[in-house]
Amino acid sequence: MTYDIIIIGAGHNGLVTASYLADAGLKTLVLERRATVGGGSVTEEIHPGFLCSTLAHSAGPFLPNVYKDLDLKRHGLEFIQPSARLLAPNPEGPALCLWNDQARTVSGLEKISALDAKSYPDFEKSFARIGKVLAPLVTMTPPSIDSPAKAELWNLGKLGLSFRGLGKRDAYRLLRWGPMAVADLVAEWFETEALRAMIAARGISGSFAGPWSAGTSTGLLWQSALDGSATGSTIFVKGGMGALTQALAKSAAARGVEIRTSAGVSKIETSADGATRVVLENGETISARAVVSNADPRTTLLNLVDPVELDPSFLLKVQNYRALGVTAKINLALSDLPAFDGVDEADAAEKLAGRIHVGPDIDYLERAFDASKYGDYSPAPYLDITIPSLSDASLAPAGAHVMSIQVQYAPFKLKEGNWTSRREEFADTVVDTLAIYAPKIKEQIVARQIITPFDLEQTYGLSGGHIHHGEQTLDQSFTFRPIIGWAQYRTPVKGLYLCGAGTHPGGGITGAPGANAAREIIKDLKRRNQNRER
Amino acid sequence: LSVQTLRMSNRYDVIVIGGGHNGLVNAAYLARAGKRVLVLERRHVLGGAAVTEEIFPGFKFSVCSYVVSLLRPEIIRELDLSRHGLEILPLDGTFTPMPNGDYLWRVNDHAKTRREIARHSRLDAEAYDEYGKAMLEMARFVKPIMSMTPPDPTSLNTKGLKDLYFLGRRFQNLDAEDKYNQVQLMTMSAVDFLDQWFETDVLKATMSASGIIGTFLGVRSPGTAYVLLHHYMGEIDGAFRSWGLSRGGTGAISNAIADAAREFGAEIRTEAPIAQILMKHGQAKGVVLANGDEIHADVVSSSVDPRLTFMKMIGEEHLPDDFAADLKRYKYRGSSGKVNLALAGLPDFKCLPGAGPHLRGAVSISPSVEYMERAYDDAKYGRFSRRPYIDIVIPSLTDPSIAPPGKHVMSCFVQYAPYNLREGNWDDQREAFGDTVIETIAEHAPNIKDLILHRQVLTPLDIERDFGLSEGNIFQGELTLEQLFFLRPAPGWAQYRTPIRNLYMCGSATHPGGGIMGAPGRNAAMQMLKDMK
Repeated sequence: MTYDIIIIGAGHNGLVTASYLADAGLKTLVLERRATVGGGSVTEEIHPGFLCSTLAHSAGPFLPNVYKDLDLKRHGLEFIQPSARLLAPNPEGPALCLWNDQARTVSGLEKISALDAKSYPDFEKSFARIGKVLAPLVTMTPPSIDSPAKAELWNLGKLGLSFRGLGKRDAYRLLRWGPMAVADLVAEWFETEALRAMIAARGISGSFAGPWSAGTSTGLLWQSALDGSATGSTIFVKGGMGALTQALAKSAAARGVEIRTSAGVSKIETSADGATRVVLENGETISARAVVSNADPRTTLLNLVDPVELDPSFLLKVQNYRALGVTAKINLALSDLPAFDGVDEADAAEKLAGRIHVGPDIDYLERAFDASKYGDYSPAPYLDITIPSLSDASLAPAGAHVMSIQVQYAPFKLKEGNWTSRREEFADTVVDTLAIYAPKIKEQIVARQIITPFDLEQTYGLSGGHIHHGEQTLDQSFTFRPIIGWAQYRTPVKGLYLCGAGTHPGGGITGAPGANAAREIIKDLKRRNQNRER
Repeated sequence: LSVQTLRMSNRYDVIVIGGGHNGLVNAAYLARAGKRVLVLERRHVLGGAAVTEEIFPGFKFSVCSYVVSLLRPEIIRELDLSRHGLEILPLDGTFTPMPNGDYLWRVNDHAKTRREIARHSRLDAEAYDEYGKAMLEMARFVKPIMSMTPPDPTSLNTKGLKDLYFLGRRFQNLDAEDKYNQVQLMTMSAVDFLDQWFETDVLKATMSASGIIGTFLGVRSPGTAYVLLHHYMGEIDGAFRSWGLSRGGTGAISNAIADAAREFGAEIRTEAPIAQILMKHGQAKGVVLANGDEIHADVVSSSVDPRLTFMKMIGEEHLPDDFAADLKRYKYRGSSGKVNLALAGLPDFKCLPGAGPHLRGAVSISPSVEYMERAYDDAKYGRFSRRPYIDIVIPSLTDPSIAPPGKHVMSCFVQYAPYNLREGNWDDQREAFGDTVIETIAEHAPNIKDLILHRQVLTPLDIERDFGLSEGNIFQGELTLEQLFFLRPAPGWAQYRTPIRNLYMCGSATHPGGGIMGAPGRNAAMQMLKDMK
């Protein structure tokens, strides 16, 4: 039996693409290697009774129009947005907390620095304005760099106008900030080290870069393009991030999409009509008019496609596509809510509900990065922590909690030993670091799950263990993502498309790459139909 | 002398602040166009950072800038610098000693270099050809951009649109591969970029070094790849890729330009430090010298950096707030020092003993990418590199006129030496820094210590004090993407004009930036002449 479309990988982007394609009347099959759908957006039981978002622990935020188009509400998707965004515990004094309510953030800052309290609203405003201008980019197919089509030029023109609309000051800010080191950017705005570090962290999240690396400010620009704020709101999903992909799967199924789990693809085969067949690990072959890969570019083009299908210079570019991850996950089952330094028990539940930031100053973050440059994990890592059970009791037994820790830096390639031999010692380093801010944490740990970069590749199929399917530096963004000349979700193999985080606008649980890819695929297939009719 | 002539003699069309190479180029072009020009230099010698001084009897040092490659050929031509005594001697090759007793020695002779690289990796030897071709294309693409006035992307008049269109078309006309390379060069780190071409660590280390010179970036920091191009832009008599020394030291370049300027009628005064820029109704009217003399002019052109020009010579109170804020944001952050040595003989390198031709080029202490990166790490946390990157040149081998017979001048450019030390200050650290540099060299050439007759150590603080470069930045401000082209030195003021009417900038703090290029001085002169019509 044949399909119009085969989608490799039931990550959130693959499922988004599937639903849109089904809406366009295309018979779509989604093949997932693992026993469960979701890819990087999954909820798994890390210990009896403890459910945790094992990889991604907060949404990008997810694109509202996709939420609407795929009526995910009806399919049970429910977002939770705690009032606290980001909290920085502090052994020396009161913790610093950023709230969704700006006034509340500012009043907190006033206690530390009048200057920062004054700058913060301007900072947010400026990024909000710039974010508005950049927002259209998120849902735009990057223009072709060789021969931009009229429509593309028109879109860019509109963009140019809104850019001019920013006014000289913000326009130039946008131009300056793009290539700038985020450490410089925050220093221009704020004097409090803790605040600088909290905000700068957005620029280095998931990437092989420190706050002093040039270009790290782009992370803040993308963030503000997505949700109008550089600091980034914290958005959970009821039931964990897995519930989001479950809803996507339901929506897809309701549209007639067929989803098969435990169905790993080992090969993409081509015929005269291009990529029209996939071979499963169990040897089964399935045919379709086109194949879409939600897997990362390296996996897709280096492992699944026969190299002879690609011309050498393109192959070289894919081999040079930088996708060596520096992120690991430690997930903890906790007997009760940990106490953090600088946070009173009274408002702990509220303050700890957002993301918790361990990385007291810029130098700390940069030093954490240094280690990874020389092939070692950070002796004092940067931690991005969430306790989702505070906002969603269904995740843990009464009174108990789950804690999800995103750890940087943990380079995929270790100079000494390997991730199998060093995983426990690594996890101890993380817990020790955490214990500096939450002294009693060790007694509270019921169970811990360790996901090293190696596990990210082995278990979750992320090549190089890179959570964003590849570095998001300027040379691997927008018209250059994943490869210059191939940023429009197509590949040199006719009928083979990419729809994952390795395409524009990149990583994060947004659904944007999936939605953009679907649009291009539908365009092509319509064209092919018309040609056939002619 | 009648009052009339007195007033006349104190009245100029243009006063150029600073007798550095850019100030002199600027003056020469203005004088050439018939303007009455006066150049005022604070020091007793001309040249700014392109200067030759006999700091030890019989030894003439290119105290700061020590090699030439980017000096625009049109300037050499138009100012007829050869006739004014400019002579550029080839500086052949880069020799990189390695701790394991091996070395990498690249020379201008392509075939030779290819064989040398093949010793380390056959693949790299082949890639080296491809790389050279690609970079040449890129250099050709970028060249015209250096001699254009940057457009203002936020308020495009027809001229600005035309310029952007011109850039766009040029880019569109590149073939796909070159577009790809161009984008990567502008955005990637030197190491990431070179990783795509080569596998030999020492080759990548020593090549990437050129990407960090004068910046506070590491070889792995995005934006450093671009400078790799400069090595392919160096044109001496049209020969791409070669670096050179000017006979008599880099000061000879400045002197040749000064002669040209004088011949065109420009007046040049040394030991004429400026106290402030004379303002009237918010316009520049001339300058006041430290000795109180007032000199008037229709236009003032400053070749010193923005901090000196605006904060010191004008005063924040006379500046628009936004502009003042941008100037404060403008990053200097000097990261390099210089150690100049008078030697009794030649250093003897363990990995290649003897006074061979390898000493006639540059000797680069950049044994590995990790070495370069660690040198940077020290600087990030406010100390000079324990084991710094050093670019060594022994010009006396090529130009015997600068040292007594049998003796030599050795110039060591050192990175990193951060202007802001976290512990102590540069006056206390100067000698320790100098020792570190000697120790580092001694690891490769142990006899160096016995050869030293005299040593001059220039810390970023010295570079600031003696040469008027804020925070000791040799390029008058970092050459990072956010401070280039239409953002240099301040957003909206990249066209050599300033918010102060009749005040212009013509130094390295303007597009296309630092190095003995002369382009800023020339571009500014063109802009000024247009405006003065």
